[in-house]
Amino acid sequence: MEICDMYYNKDEFVETASGNKVNRQTVLCGSQNIVLHGKVIVDKGAIIRGDLANVRTGRYCVISKNAVVRPPFKQFSKGVAFFPLHIGDHVYIGENSVVSAASIGSYVYIGKNVVIGRRCVIKDCTIIEDNSVLPPETTLASFMKFNNDGTIEGGQGTESVPAAMQDLMVDFTKSYYDHFLMAKS
Amino acid sequence: MEYLLSKNVEYVCECGLLKPLTNLYFCRHCLNLRCFFCCHHEVDSHFCRNCLENIPSGEAKLRKNKCNTCFDCPSCTLSALSARATTIQVPMTKEVKEGGEGSEIEASSGKMVSKKMYYLACLACRFSSRDVGISDQPSQNFFWPEQEYMHAIRFNTILNHYYSVVLHDKQLKQEERRRRSTKQSKFPNMTDRTGLNVSAIRRQMGFDKSAAKPKSKPTAIAPSIAEDVDDLPEEIFTQPINLKNITTIQQRFTQPANQPESVKHLYPQHKNLSIKRSIRCRHCEHNVIKPEYNPTSIKYRIQQFASSHVPEVRIIKCDQLVPNKSALITLKITNPTMNDMIITIMDLPTEEEEKMMIEEMRKNFEKNLSVSNKSSLMRPSLIEDSRIVSCKITAKLELPDSSFVINQRDDSAEFDDDVQSDKKDPKFILWRKANKIAIQLSITPNGELKVNDDVKIGFSMNFTYSSVPSSTPEKKETQRYALCARIYINAGKIVQ
Repeated sequence: MEICDMYYNKDEFVETASGNKVNRQTVLCGSQNIVLHGKVIVDKGAIIRGDLANVRTGRYCVISKNAVVRPPFKQFSKGVAFFPLHIGDHVYIGENSVVSAASIGSYVYIGKNVVIGRRCVIKDCTIIEDNSVLPPETTLASFMKFNNDGTIEGGQGTESVPAAMQDLMVDFTKSYYDHFLMAKS
Repeated sequence: MEYLLSKNVEYVCECGLLKPLTNLYFCRHCLNLRCFFCCHHEVDSHFCRNCLENIPSGEAKLRKNKCNTCFDCPSCTLSALSARATTIQVPMTKEVKEGGEGSEIEASSGKMVSKKMYYLACLACRFSSRDVGISDQPSQNFFWPEQEYMHAIRFNTILNHYYSVVLHDKQLKQEERRRRSTKQSKFPNMTDRTGLNVSAIRRQMGFDKSAAKPKSKPTAIAPSIAEDVDDLPEEIFTQPINLKNITTIQQRFTQPANQPESVKHLYPQHKNLSIKRSIRCRHCEHNVIKPEYNPTSIKYRIQQFASSHVPEVRIIKCDQLVPNKSALITLKITNPTMNDMIITIMDLPTEEEEKMMIEEMRKNFEKNLSVSNKSSLMRPSLIEDSRIVSCKITAKLELPDSSFVINQRDDSAEFDDDVQSDKKDPKFILWRKANKIAIQLSITPNGELKVNDDVKIGFSMNFTYSSVPSSTPEKKETQRYALCARIYINAGKIVQ
């Protein structure tokens, strides 16, 4: 199914010179620590916790409504330390998802209502199903799919993640950005 | 998710299965669609999906396809165990012994020193290696104590026995062949009659003893003897069962050698390795997919995705569907290739035509097989007959009255301004942008459909395909082919 046009009001969103579209009703803590590398959409109600550690996203990322991007912490004997969170290019994070991964590769699809535990490593070309919960410190290798019953399946050359995942995600995020339009008033 | 794994638009693979375009491959040599089901699969490389270490296949076999360092949780059987650190207080003496001489004096002082110890824990279900009585280890990468199996020795002797049986059989067969080949010689051999054959010469020269290898005999094994089985203990009938202490079938299957009954015996299990596989066309034995060996790499050395050769059809929108009432459906067709495509949309073949197509395909294949078999060293592939498409069409589609051209893909086009072509397009084309085109067709769902029934339409799409010039000398130039893809679309459900 093709993506339908999504319209927003001009005063709802801020568009930067590099093409980032950020809703005004988002919580971007520590904005000096947040780097959005261009053409990133941050939708209404999303929270990015840059005050804890650096957050960096690549190009063409989508952070949907009410998603939380929160750098992971590690407990040491003398308190906790937060680690920076890197997100690659062409990553989609679904609605109401909480992401506390250590790193997210490129061409990753994260469904809605997903909880990604702290210090997970998510490699390139992976899919995380809707409503799934990743336990902390999980590694999701490339071309693997995390199902919402907790199993991991797939691998390069199987059907669970399309072999052309890279091209598909590029297509998807680009057309999401192209269909995310300002309403004509 | 719908965009990635949508099953609304499905293509017919040559084997007759319906698959979304994203799950299909395109064989450049047969010029046909191939799917996961109708291809050869080969294991390319082994890796651990937790530590992402590449393990050569020989080593993987030695390690029984398990990772040396990573463990699966035996309790929830889903997630990997991770090492957790704790500090414990140990008396100085232990340290001193490792430290060597010179610190004997400190040993006697009885000071306590904190030391880091590690244990394994599952962060999904809170299982820990302490639960089953594995003591903490001083190092994270320390080899954790291996579990011992009751029947390990017995299995090894049986395995060795069968290895020797195989060897013995092989030798017998070889001998048989040797004996037979001398008898059935096509040409009369003079040396045979004169008693000057190889074995006779060997005997004369005194090589006899060294040449004849001692025949290996299968090592004997003691057959297992059925023992008297004791009666079930009384408690089984009297004591109530606590299901929390009994392992599930799933948990037992992860430890096939032990199959513990109680959760107290659930030991961490080495993680199974994952594989990368390459996929090969069964008809021409060329690879359609070959990934790189490196586990973290997402690149391919050979990639023949259908989505980069065959025009992609997506539904943009569809009107409300009511039986016997025509509705408009808008489709987007994308040309993924570097050449312009001429597309003609036609009716699907009837059942008889489909049967004829399958018959023709088989004949073609058999012809190719007899030609290629002489040169090929590989065993000929087993080919299953294609099947008839199982999907039934439940709506009538009004076909467009003319064919149309879709422009080639141009990666720089996205930076250009939209240029409207001056070409006059037929009415059913709504718009065109770069290599994409939107067409509007009208469909009429059948009368017998009820509310919530799926409305399925289908068509054959003929398209021109220009082959990419390959390195082989006879195919230097691009050749143009007319190919056909059969497409089934689930337009939506009937509403009232």
